[in-house]
Amino acid sequence: MARMKFICDAERCIECNGCSTACKNEHEVPWGVNRRRLVTVNDGKPGERSISVACMHCSDAPCMAVCPVDCFYKTDEGVVLHDKDLCIGCGYCFYACPFGAPQFPQAGAFGLRGKMDKCTFCAGGPEDNNTAEEFKKYGRNRLAEGKLPICAEMCSTKALLAGDGEVIKSIYQQRVQRRGKGEEVWGWAMAYERGDKKMSATAQVKS
Amino acid sequence: MKSNNGKWLATLVLAFFAGLTQAIAQAPAVVAPPAAVNAAPAPAAVVAPTAAVNVASEPANPAAQPAVLAAPVLLPGSTAKPGWNVPQPWDKVQSVPQYASVPGHEANVLEQDQGQWWRTMRNGPVTFYGGIILLVMPTILLIFFAIKGPFRLHDKPTGRLIERFNSAERMVHWTLAFSFIALALTGLTILFGKHVLMPVIGASSFAFLTTIGKNVHNFVGPLFTFSLVVFFILYVKDNIFQSRDLVWLAKLGGLMSGHHVPSGRFNAGEKIWFWLSIVMLGIAVSTSGVIMLFPNWNATRELMTDANLVHAILSTLFIAASLGHIYIGTIGTEGALQGMKTGSVDETWAREHHALWLEEVQSGRRAGAAMGAAQPAAGDD
Repeated sequence: MARMKFICDAERCIECNGCSTACKNEHEVPWGVNRRRLVTVNDGKPGERSISVACMHCSDAPCMAVCPVDCFYKTDEGVVLHDKDLCIGCGYCFYACPFGAPQFPQAGAFGLRGKMDKCTFCAGGPEDNNTAEEFKKYGRNRLAEGKLPICAEMCSTKALLAGDGEVIKSIYQQRVQRRGKGEEVWGWAMAYERGDKKMSATAQVKS
Repeated sequence: MKSNNGKWLATLVLAFFAGLTQAIAQAPAVVAPPAAVNAAPAPAAVVAPTAAVNVASEPANPAAQPAVLAAPVLLPGSTAKPGWNVPQPWDKVQSVPQYASVPGHEANVLEQDQGQWWRTMRNGPVTFYGGIILLVMPTILLIFFAIKGPFRLHDKPTGRLIERFNSAERMVHWTLAFSFIALALTGLTILFGKHVLMPVIGASSFAFLTTIGKNVHNFVGPLFTFSLVVFFILYVKDNIFQSRDLVWLAKLGGLMSGHHVPSGRFNAGEKIWFWLSIVMLGIAVSTSGVIMLFPNWNATRELMTDANLVHAILSTLFIAASLGHIYIGTIGTEGALQGMKTGSVDETWAREHHALWLEEVQSGRRAGAAMGAAQPAAGDD
């Protein structure tokens, strides 16, 4: 069984925001929530790089660990999903997540946040696949249709890779060998190494 | 990439394109030679020799070529330093606010590590030791009650009632008390519920209950803080420490001898409960609660996780201490609950527990606290 992961290749990302736009459109993401966002480091200076960030579907997911009602679950493919019917909107997943993935449609007084929303790796939620109910809460379930996440599928420079961790890692390794730089995959140490040391792309490429 | 022929070719092609990229990036500097200015495909024309130089300078033996390309050689006159475009390691930049075109609070921070620390603390010692404290405290009280039983009155009640708490004092006490109980129960559900309650009642019932609990917690919290302020104003006068409190403390209030040490309206134990728990824990728990209560104030995640830890640890201590207070005020002391329930206590109770206060009331030195009319003592005694 594939273990789904994301890689954003900072040497290729041109900060076009296509991924976050496509995601919003595909899933009709609530107003104010961006399941994917672009961060540019050293903006306007030498060494400028951009990264597209979303839920990394961590091996040892902090959101799952701190949820007071255990509304998170992990699919066989390693995708971290949650049940909006159980979510109480406490914000703990948002405190714990290193990547700022969990977001809330509201930020009201007295802790009124609404139900948490985050990237689903285009894998929907606990409802039956591709039902109207699932779409309304979580967006489209592309994995159930045999497709990969829309953000990576439409990435114009193929900076964003989504799919089986082993496959996208080997693609990335080939790129690093050819260009001789950018060997450090952003986010993998945080997302996957804490839970599973063997899956480290950084360690593999550097050795 | 295993084939050496392919590698040589690929290296050549890549070196060309690397040089091309370099030249385009440096275009203004490159254009300097007059001959190149008129040439239409200026960058390409200039780059070709660069790439050739790059390749020619390499060893003739293709097998010795490294798989990873060396950095392209800079053009003469270039001011660029080698490695100028190499990004900093991610751990240097990813937790520092950067530029993000997508709006949102802290959207420009790639990674934060505080949350992981918070998770370790909350799911670890705060839950574990907090749980132990909350189990040990009632156990101690039960053992104490089983061995020593309640503090009973030594003499018979006289039937003469003395007003101990007026209606405002009682109202604010009970507002504080019931809001505290509501907050304690709902708060404990959020920290311990998934270990204790969820396995029993199931995930969806538990989530339903916790949704209600969370909203009760969030709306009762400000009521608790408000009644805390009013409580402080009404009760602070009689809770100021005096020298005679040291005597009371030295004898532990007569716990060992069985004879009460004379005290004013509140004894030293009650004063410690007032200052340590009501005032200090109350302020700390309220402040940390308010930080988390208003996500619309855009506090950073770091501040909110710190507030959560302070809130969880101190609330646990507060609940443990309140168990002691509730014990002493109800089953632990005969006649104590009556004072807060009806507002009046029997003269005997007042003499045995707060002799100095009784003297003040009887001599008329204490304004507002009038002697009640002689009537049968209410209740079972």
